[in-house]
Amino acid sequence: MIDFIEGIRFDMIWSYKEYFIRGLWITLSLTIIGYLGGVILGLFLGMGKLSKVKWIYYPSKLYVDFFRGTPLLVQLLLIHLAVIPTIFGSSLGPFTSGAIALVLNCAAYNAEIIRAGIQSIEKGQMEAARSLGMPHKEAMRHIILPQAFRRMIPPLGNEWIALLKDSSLVTVISATDLLFAGKVVAGAYSRFWEPYITIAILYLLLTWVFTRIIAYVEKRYSNSYIPSQRRGIFSRPSVGR
Amino acid sequence: MIKIQGLHKSFGDLQVLKGIDCEIKEKEVVCVIGPSGSGKSTFLRCINLLEDITEGSVFIDGVRVNDPHTDINEIRKEVGMVFQRFNLFPHMSVLDNITIAPKKIRKMHEVEAKDLAYQLLEKVGLRDKADAYPEQLSGGQMQRVAIARALAMRPKIMLFDEPTSALDPEMVKEVLDVMKQLAKEGMTMVVVTHEMGFAREMGDRVLFMDEGIIMEEGTPTEVFGQPKNERTQDFLSKVL
Repeated sequence: MIDFIEGIRFDMIWSYKEYFIRGLWITLSLTIIGYLGGVILGLFLGMGKLSKVKWIYYPSKLYVDFFRGTPLLVQLLLIHLAVIPTIFGSSLGPFTSGAIALVLNCAAYNAEIIRAGIQSIEKGQMEAARSLGMPHKEAMRHIILPQAFRRMIPPLGNEWIALLKDSSLVTVISATDLLFAGKVVAGAYSRFWEPYITIAILYLLLTWVFTRIIAYVEKRYSNSYIPSQRRGIFSRPSVGR
Repeated sequence: MIKIQGLHKSFGDLQVLKGIDCEIKEKEVVCVIGPSGSGKSTFLRCINLLEDITEGSVFIDGVRVNDPHTDINEIRKEVGMVFQRFNLFPHMSVLDNITIAPKKIRKMHEVEAKDLAYQLLEKVGLRDKADAYPEQLSGGQMQRVAIARALAMRPKIMLFDEPTSALDPEMVKEVLDVMKQLAKEGMTMVVVTHEMGFAREMGDRVLFMDEGIIMEEGTPTEVFGQPKNERTQDFLSKVL
């Protein structure tokens, strides 16, 4: 045991620090792109799954079922090695492939969150809006979505954390993310404890920071609609009337 | 102003409305009474097409509401509705609840919409609540805001779907008072209600509905005084 601890050499990590910094940056970029794209696309898919029009509903459902029913790893390989080369004639690089796969995958999960959020709003809200002469689209935008988003915050927060961790799968198509940095060190020194522990800690740090932020956002939005009674780091100071 | 011909409505196999014919004139206050499950609310909701109509027609100002070529949003601008459960928008202040439709649908200017909202709040006695949020209001206050919200579109007709049924007894009066004032100002109103006092006092006409049809109709004096139909007699003996 003593030998084992004395034998740990973190200097090897330090000498590869550029890889880890770049890896962190790539992991964060992929997560941000995948998530933002996933929320926007997921919004359309989620509404598509609520549509009464068959040619909107069924494609949306098929999409969501496919991307939730197959492993992300398989989707990554399929997109990087098959779909993109077929469409564009050559690879667009692992980062682009990874980003596309994450957007498409994340959208499917977000679609379900968004659909459930919209459905959770009382029917009377839509009826009241429609009875005032608001078209469906306007009622959705001004009345339903602002209320639904608040209920979507906890599951959408979980999705962010899940995506952050799942983005490590892009390593298999040689995107230079955080996990990839660890693999480089492991390959160069044939040592496994130091690089993978370092990476585990870095992921843990990231998820910890984001979990805290999400917790604050949840707190801010979950307690009250009244601005002066909201709590959390982003709350505006209450103004007396 | 409203003309209903042969109105049928089914939910799947369940027939809720079985042929309703009725005409409502301008400035008339029509109260719809009847046991629960008789189709009163469905009848009301068919007028502004919140329920789609299985068979028959509803005309408002001569326009067939359930015509596929009719823009229902245009009709609804002229037909305000007040719900049993208020259905205020909880994420908006009272003022925004009232101004959102005039601003977004009537394209009214912000300042003008606010002026109108304050006038209407004055009318329902809640001017001081303009900046409050629905969750800070009592049931009666919420329903009065809901009435103001519907009036902000300057409708020609107001539909009330059991507006006092979800209220604590002590709040019923404040809502009925607002409705009475509205009736006196000459608003065309269709009121589904369990408030027999209101129907008797304010109704120009009372419709008694049961089993999906209008069993009896007449002036309040006729319907409450000498009900002809056995069902009406039975119902009134239970509620009066």
